[in-house]
Amino acid sequence: MPRLVPLLVMGMLGVQLSGCVIFRAPVESPNPTTQPAHPEPGYSGQPASPYPGEPATAAPAPAPAPEPATPAPPVATRQFHLGTAATALVAQAHRQATAGDPQLAIGSIERALRIEPDNPLLWLELGEIHENAGHYDQAAGMGHKALQLATGDPHAQSASWHLIADSLKARGRNGEAAEAQRRADELVPQ
Amino acid sequence: MKIWRYLLAVLVLCAIAAAVYVVHLDRIVTTQFEGRRWTLPAQVYAAPQELYAGEALSAPDLEHELLRLQYRRATQLDAPGSYSRQADRFQINLRPARFADEARAATILNVDSNGAGITAITDVTGKDVAIARLEPLLIGSIFPIHGEDRIVVTPQQVPPMLPAALKAVEDRNFDTHHGIDPIGMLRALWVDLRHDQWGQGAQGGSTLTQQLVKNYFLDSRRTAGRKVQEAIMAVLLETHFSKTDLMTAYINEIALGQDGNRAIHGFGLASQFYFGKPLVELDLAQVATLVAVARGTSYYDPRRHPDRALKRRNLVLSLMADQKVISQADMQAAQARPLAVMGRGSGGYYPAYLDLVRRTLRRDYREEDLTEAGLSIFTNLEPRTQELAEKILDRELTRLDHLRKTTGAPLEGSVVVTAPQSGDVTAVIGGREAGFDGFNRALDARRPIGSLVKPFVYLAAIETGRYNSASIIQDVPVSIKIPGAPDWQPENFEKHEINGPIPMVKGLALSLNLATVNLGMDIGLDAVRHSLQRFGIEEDPPRIPSLLLGTFELTPLDVAQLYTGLANGGFKSNLRAVSAVLSADGKALKAFNLDVAPVAQPEAVFAVQMMMEQVIQRGTGAAAQSILPTGVVVAGKSGTSSDLRDSWFAGFSGNAVAVVWVGYDDDRVTGLTGSTGALSVWDRLLTAIGPTSVSSVMPESLHPVTIDFRTGYLPAANCSPEPVTVYVPLSFTPPEAPPGCTAFGPSGSAASQPKAEPSLLDRAGKWIQGITH
Repeated sequence: MPRLVPLLVMGMLGVQLSGCVIFRAPVESPNPTTQPAHPEPGYSGQPASPYPGEPATAAPAPAPAPEPATPAPPVATRQFHLGTAATALVAQAHRQATAGDPQLAIGSIERALRIEPDNPLLWLELGEIHENAGHYDQAAGMGHKALQLATGDPHAQSASWHLIADSLKARGRNGEAAEAQRRADELVPQ
Repeated sequence: MKIWRYLLAVLVLCAIAAAVYVVHLDRIVTTQFEGRRWTLPAQVYAAPQELYAGEALSAPDLEHELLRLQYRRATQLDAPGSYSRQADRFQINLRPARFADEARAATILNVDSNGAGITAITDVTGKDVAIARLEPLLIGSIFPIHGEDRIVVTPQQVPPMLPAALKAVEDRNFDTHHGIDPIGMLRALWVDLRHDQWGQGAQGGSTLTQQLVKNYFLDSRRTAGRKVQEAIMAVLLETHFSKTDLMTAYINEIALGQDGNRAIHGFGLASQFYFGKPLVELDLAQVATLVAVARGTSYYDPRRHPDRALKRRNLVLSLMADQKVISQADMQAAQARPLAVMGRGSGGYYPAYLDLVRRTLRRDYREEDLTEAGLSIFTNLEPRTQELAEKILDRELTRLDHLRKTTGAPLEGSVVVTAPQSGDVTAVIGGREAGFDGFNRALDARRPIGSLVKPFVYLAAIETGRYNSASIIQDVPVSIKIPGAPDWQPENFEKHEINGPIPMVKGLALSLNLATVNLGMDIGLDAVRHSLQRFGIEEDPPRIPSLLLGTFELTPLDVAQLYTGLANGGFKSNLRAVSAVLSADGKALKAFNLDVAPVAQPEAVFAVQMMMEQVIQRGTGAAAQSILPTGVVVAGKSGTSSDLRDSWFAGFSGNAVAVVWVGYDDDRVTGLTGSTGALSVWDRLLTAIGPTSVSSVMPESLHPVTIDFRTGYLPAANCSPEPVTVYVPLSFTPPEAPPGCTAFGPSGSAASQPKAEPSLLDRAGKWIQGITH
């Protein structure tokens, strides 16, 4: 899980760009800096696939969002990190996965998710394990869930698109995979 | 002399016959007992309580969890299964335990917990422990139809006092006799007379070996023939097997109680059944109690006949002291103890949840696998949530019965609680009498869901891209032609109430029927049905307009599946009661992995969630505000079926989805709406669980705007507006209020009205054609 390692490391170092603002309405006002770096596909007043980046198989691929001339750098409004307990469980899961027991690793991440269910980093970890175990549909689901939770954290968003791209590629859906990959790269230029 | 030869021949024949008989019995004894394997019902466990620094588990809550597992509080740290507490510091000697993913040895932990939660966990060397867990609570077993349930123990799991007590009371010469003990029989008679227990058998007449034979090989008929067979087999057993083997077999075989149609077999299960803890942890008085019960499971039932059981226990203790197995002082101390048997209700017995577990497993396992193979089943049940839900449901139903002056059968109810992000089912209550294994309303009672369907109508509308939370919809009368039936003319709950043009958020928050039907007819029934299908209902609702008001029937569990998807931001996770199944030797057989799939546009779901918060803020769920903790924002929806027969409330906080149904089993009119019935269970339950606010993140393509709840215009200071925040696409800005503070005209003249469209009735007409042709 090389892509996640820097994320985790940064998280453990407690690097936070602007605090971990979990948007809450209407008790708190939204962070005014939250701007849509890239509108989600499909939501433009048209009936669309409910699955961003992954249209129903029968439907044509959604028209890609118009390419901005110079992609605006995404504004990070928060950065996710893992708590101590979840960090320990993720480390345990990595050991279990390395030892060739993805099922135990899945169990460890699910245990961590009971503690931090809204943390996209855990959904990404779980998705990676499923991806490596060949459970591509599950991996895609985890990627989309991570993406939803990662709003405001370009690194986590990018990692989510990477996971989605991998799972699409593994299922031979190369066009959609390329589109997902492009989104990942836009958020965090390689 | 011929007669002698004849007699001799008869004698020889008899001897041969007897020999054949003995050989036959010997074969039975050796083959059946040698390969003896008790059929082991699957043991079912709750989710284990996790422990980690930062967890919101206060000191009293932690202690409560320890006591639920029957941990013993000691002044100094003692054996596994005990803890000590000095102010905020707990020292816990965790029992060895089997989890779905590992076996853990006994472990000593120091846990610091204050009023808010756990602050630190260290091991015996003082090193920080990132995460640990209590062993999972045994919540039941899946026993076969003939009802024999047991937990098998090894000699190491037996407290030494138990064989000693059994010998003292039942079979004093067990260590030396050869299966039968005529002298012991006579002595037993004498002891009976001396203790004035004539007829109740203070001491058993037959040896433990004979009792074992009787239980293991023979049926319950008592004839002279049986008695002879029993004696022969006892002697045969003794020639083949060691005393330790026989004692262990006796301890695992014997019946020690009855629980409905479930027979409690073996001291291992009896220890859990009466004391809620492993056999090895029982003290002298408790061991003596079980030995007392072994003599007559119903006559000495410690729950139903505590006086008899206590007297018999004390007799067991005196016999032990008489035979110097224990000292006089130990005897007196133990005799002074109360029976201290757990009440039946507190024993972690959750039949409705077990029912769901059984149904889940029957898809994958044969009945025999479940009842005989010694499987361990790990579930997602949270005992704390389950017990809170049971208590609150019963209390509120009692209050409502009183309030409604119910005559006849009392109100019933059911509850399902899930974890929003995983679909884990954490509690299931099938009826008011939660400990009664009867009709499971949570799984089997299909009732019209009423307005619980509305969030899916609004979701489908937003997903078309033509509507958002501030769009104007028409709360005006509608008449829909139904082929071969009178026109359908729905009404608002307050009959004749007509609100005219209103913003969507008001239609959902106040659960306005006319607005919802007009909206639903505009987007089409199939859009709504498709939305429900994606969120996971088993059967498609019928394609009739009244589906928009929830006239189709679902079970509370079905509703929980739908609402978990809403709480989870438009992701569907199949509800899971079971998390893992292990074989008897601890191998993982099947994992029930968390699965999550996107089933709706995240933006649309977020907008609907925020409108469902307004149900609580200012709508049909407003009564919950006085119950819920201040500042905690939750979302929900009421549901009421026609003529007030079913009262529903479903909704979620950040950490729990709860669905509550209240009604009568015979479908009588309750006089309750969702808001006056089920809501009072729902808000109290969520509050007791300790709710966190709904934690959804606003998608980047939406922005919050404030509109006047009544009109949908931007709030105008001079119009005494009722401001409400809704979440709409970035491109959308609500219109300014016109001068004069008028509402949107019924003709839809305002700018934000969806572009010119045929009148509602025209559209309805077209739609009807759509389905009839």
